[in-house]
Amino acid sequence: MTTTPATHTGPDVIDHLVGIVPGQPLHTVRHQRDKVVHATQGSYEALLSPDVEGLSVQERLLVGWYAARLTPCPALEQHYASQLDIDESDAVRHTIAQDQLASLPDARLRAILQFVRALITKPISGDQALLHTLPAAGLSTPAVVALAQWIAFLSYQGRLVTGLQALKRWRGQ
Amino acid sequence: MSTLLESHGFTNATLGWKAWLDTVQLDQATPAQMQVLESSHPQAKVSDYYLLLVHQARILEQRSTAFNAIMYAPGGLSRAERELASTVVSRVNGCVYCASVHAQRFEQLAKRQDVIAQVFEDQATAGTNARERAIVAFSIELTLQPNDIPDSSLQRLADAGLSDAEILDLIHAIAIFAWANRLMLNLGEPVFPAS
Repeated sequence: MTTTPATHTGPDVIDHLVGIVPGQPLHTVRHQRDKVVHATQGSYEALLSPDVEGLSVQERLLVGWYAARLTPCPALEQHYASQLDIDESDAVRHTIAQDQLASLPDARLRAILQFVRALITKPISGDQALLHTLPAAGLSTPAVVALAQWIAFLSYQGRLVTGLQALKRWRGQ
Repeated sequence: MSTLLESHGFTNATLGWKAWLDTVQLDQATPAQMQVLESSHPQAKVSDYYLLLVHQARILEQRSTAFNAIMYAPGGLSRAERELASTVVSRVNGCVYCASVHAQRFEQLAKRQDVIAQVFEDQATAGTNARERAIVAFSIELTLQPNDIPDSSLQRLADAGLSDAEILDLIHAIAIFAWANRLMLNLGEPVFPAS
């Protein structure tokens, strides 16, 4: 594990999703807060890193897609859906899209997505019993911490995307 | 001077927080975990919150960098106004712990607590002037309806004197508390001082 600041190889996800390009006034405004830009992208990359054990990257992308649907944030929903390895005809994906978590046969996935649902839609509704369904479903404490950080980050990311989209539209950029 | 506020379960008193899962023990922390604790918060080594999150040190490091850059960077929206937005978001989400911490920070920066008392009483009508009311309304809106921010909400902020850079800072402050509240509410609970 490294603690040096993440180096970013890919394009900035927020700029990409909102359509912020160099030369726009909004690009200038956003990049005056470059530390926030880098730490937002760095968080995204750290949270989706294959180095995080106990929660597969595909599980995290599925969480991202479901969280974006619930928020809702269409741009993020599309972003995560396009990276899933199960397409829309898949039964599991269909069940999640219908928000019928109780019908999911896999207890681990059910516990993970019920936790997502609570945190995204009504964060006050979560309690100790809900949290403890995750270790009961086989998740280690580091995996639970990674999951909680990922869901909480998705709440941040959705509001950032929506806020910037609104600012861009309002300013006619 | 700050007087004790208590309303609808919210308070500006100093609260503790305890984790619902096992935390990293300092004598077993790796050098990398120690480094991230030291750069995250002055009290991180004695805080259940940071000792739990440091199970994922790289994630915590990035999250702390984002948080500190959003809340403490110079220029733009005043730090007190960022703390006001944080307190409103925490009030809306029901995060008593976060609301107490950021109510105190607002009071320390602004040297007053009138608007915090209003937020605790009823955030929907809070704000001692048009600028504060616009900030409060936008904080509620982006927290509860993140899918739909009408032009009129941004125009109200601009009419109240916020520049685009200040609006960006406000969006950041609201969004980072969507993140912080969810961790504080779902990984542990506040501890109230013995009365």
